[in-house]
Amino acid sequence: MKSSRLVSVLGLLLVIAMLLPGCAAPPPQVVERVVTQVVEKEKQVQVEKIVTQVVEKEVEKRVEVVVTAVPSGVTNSADKAVEVAKAQCAGKEINVVWESGLQPQDPLTFAPQWDALTGMKTKVVEMAYVDLYTKQMQDATLGGGAYDVITYAPAWLKDFVAAKVVEPINPLMDKYMNKADLEDYLPVYASDGYGRLGDTWYGLPDDGDAFVMYYRKDIFGDEANKAAFKAKLGYDLAPPKTYQQFIDTCQFLTEKLGPDVHGCAYQELEGQAFDWFMGPFSGAGGQWFDPATMKATLNSEAGVKTLTNMVTLTKSMPPGVQKWGFMEVLSAWMEGKVAMIITWPPIGRWSEGVGLMTSQLSWVPPTKVAGKVGYAPEPGGRTMLAGNFALGVSPTSKNKECAYLFTQWMNSPTVSLQRVMLPFALRDPFRQSHVSSALYRALWPSAGEYLDTLKTNGMAGQFELGIPGAREYAEAVDQAVTAALAGTDPKAALDEAAKKFDDITERKGLDAQKKAYAEWLLGEWNKPGPR
Amino acid sequence: MTTRAAISSDALLLKRRKKLVPWLFVLPTLVVILSVTIFPTVYSLGLSLFKWEATLQDKPFVGLDNYIRLFSDSRFLHSLWVTAVLVVVGVFLELVLGFALALFLISDKRPHRSIVALLLLPVMVMPVVVGYTWRLLWDAQYGPINQMIGWVIGRPFQYTWLGKTNTAIFAILVTEIWQWTPFMFLIFYSGLSSLDQELFDAAKIDGASTWGQIRHLSVPLMRPIIAVAVLIRSLDAIKAFDLVYTLTGGGPGSSTETLSFYIYKVGFQFFRLGYAAAMAFLLLIVLSVLLTYLMRYLKAIWQ
Repeated sequence: MKSSRLVSVLGLLLVIAMLLPGCAAPPPQVVERVVTQVVEKEKQVQVEKIVTQVVEKEVEKRVEVVVTAVPSGVTNSADKAVEVAKAQCAGKEINVVWESGLQPQDPLTFAPQWDALTGMKTKVVEMAYVDLYTKQMQDATLGGGAYDVITYAPAWLKDFVAAKVVEPINPLMDKYMNKADLEDYLPVYASDGYGRLGDTWYGLPDDGDAFVMYYRKDIFGDEANKAAFKAKLGYDLAPPKTYQQFIDTCQFLTEKLGPDVHGCAYQELEGQAFDWFMGPFSGAGGQWFDPATMKATLNSEAGVKTLTNMVTLTKSMPPGVQKWGFMEVLSAWMEGKVAMIITWPPIGRWSEGVGLMTSQLSWVPPTKVAGKVGYAPEPGGRTMLAGNFALGVSPTSKNKECAYLFTQWMNSPTVSLQRVMLPFALRDPFRQSHVSSALYRALWPSAGEYLDTLKTNGMAGQFELGIPGAREYAEAVDQAVTAALAGTDPKAALDEAAKKFDDITERKGLDAQKKAYAEWLLGEWNKPGPR
Repeated sequence: MTTRAAISSDALLLKRRKKLVPWLFVLPTLVVILSVTIFPTVYSLGLSLFKWEATLQDKPFVGLDNYIRLFSDSRFLHSLWVTAVLVVVGVFLELVLGFALALFLISDKRPHRSIVALLLLPVMVMPVVVGYTWRLLWDAQYGPINQMIGWVIGRPFQYTWLGKTNTAIFAILVTEIWQWTPFMFLIFYSGLSSLDQELFDAAKIDGASTWGQIRHLSVPLMRPIIAVAVLIRSLDAIKAFDLVYTLTGGGPGSSTETLSFYIYKVGFQFFRLGYAAAMAFLLLIVLSVLLTYLMRYLKAIWQ
């Protein structure tokens, strides 16, 4: 080949080589921005009226205890936050971190109201769930300053405290909050490890993510199904309580109604599959570690049994369920193709068509199951408290008080009720006043039953493991689950996970982890075993 | 000072300034290159000698401990294996298919030119888009791949390609080959176009078959281009991340975790930056050795 041609060809190759790095995309980020719709004002006025009365009654009962902490005039936390922010924060700007997707519709709806009331400027910074941990950590590691309001899941609290992503907010709570608000949290969400560690508060619990088992009342109530089930299995067809009953019921319904309808489904996609293991594992008495030695014990009999049950159950689920995430489960359920699912609270509302007329929820499939949905605890003795979010303040924020006041306002009983009732919200009831709200209970015929189930499930809940390195431990469990569902022997998969657990513990420091685990077990909803 | 001495001194100063001026012109570029490439590289090397984890208060100097740990880290070793499979099998198949396509289409005929343009489309699509699109294609219930297999075998076929340990890597390989074969094809097509046609005409006259011409003319003449194409594609395949992230997330379990994906997880999800830096440096060393040997080979061919 002539040298000039060779040079031309090599030159072309060099140009291509230089362009190649541009082909490598950075880790994908999914950020959705949806135009908000104004919620019917009439309803909002009603909400304020009713809730204010409820709160005032509670305050009157407690006035002897808390009146000295809050100056006279304004006792309502929401109004107090507005009053102070108006005086001290007008013109200031804060960056509020929030999970992307549908979640930011909440702050995007309410932040403009806050800005109008206080003269502040609130910017919502959206991030995918996996990036919430990464990017907030990154910011703190690099000196911080990018974010004022921090969003964290309880499992990350210890890591965030160690890395100074969040700081204690007790002084601010003492100064501005009506402490009656703390009594209004459902006890599970006010427990150690969510918003606080011991008596030190790092964030305000802002979500009640308790799994619910949704089941088709029409299928369970069908006489032919009931008779056939009783004849085959010897007990009545009902929402299963134990995991074996769950397997039996799912298998039966799949055999009888398939392939159009399968007995059950839940998310098995990598990244969150561990959440469907943790609840039943805890319910079976499984412990993550031996507290005395800090050796991993997730590969105990309870762990192997739980994972084996999941593998067995998967055989009765729709094909391809190993790659099912939230959307696939939602679609199948709304289409009426599954008789039981275990998932987060919003699906309960969407099943009844609540909010589906809004543009924000235009992507949700129309419901074919409205009026046919029952609610039950997760089978196996413990309901998973999967995810959950708290709102904290960054130590490097230049407007800490303003940032805190925003979170206090958003989290207050009055405003948070409006937020959890927002048709397209993903924030779930986490206060007593949410669950007992007459307005919420009237949203659809079985809304009262739904709210009672959320409360019951929350009170029987199991939090995700929340010690330093929580993300790594969770990932080890997740990989064991997906490996077993893909065909690896459950014992072998859990043995591998246990080895990873021990490696993580050794790296983080055995004594430190032992202490952290012992402290974590003090949390009432962290202890394993049925509730 | 005498006039002659003054003149001499001035001349020396002028000479020094003249030497300095070019450096002043390249200084801004040098600063950018140093700060964007050299400094982070050196900083990362330093980081790899520390036990640097964001959630630990102490970040002690550990010397080569991070590097030593790598060889007992089964997950790291597995990721090396997955990466090797993707590079060796993937690049080889891309090479064979790309070369075959180029041989088939090397022609002045118009229809072939429009086909060439169409063939290049996959390489122009962002890897992330390719990943999410192919995830739908591989879907167990609604994916067209299973549907077509169902038509062939005459019954519904609902296999979870991405959810099974032994087929997830296969699915990634097929997707990767689909996307990057056109790249190899483009290089070989250009190369074959530049070959001296007289050699082939002479061979034809001498009675050489098509296969003989390919074996004894095309391939030997294309050796330098093949080597460079394999080098470029291998360097890119070693960094495979997008398709793994979008198709399998490294799963099921950690069965499809490549080295890049594992480094990302360790560095940016677990914030073990010291360990991630050590892995990245080991990868850099391996690539450097590979590149050195390949360049020697190329030099030998060109000589």
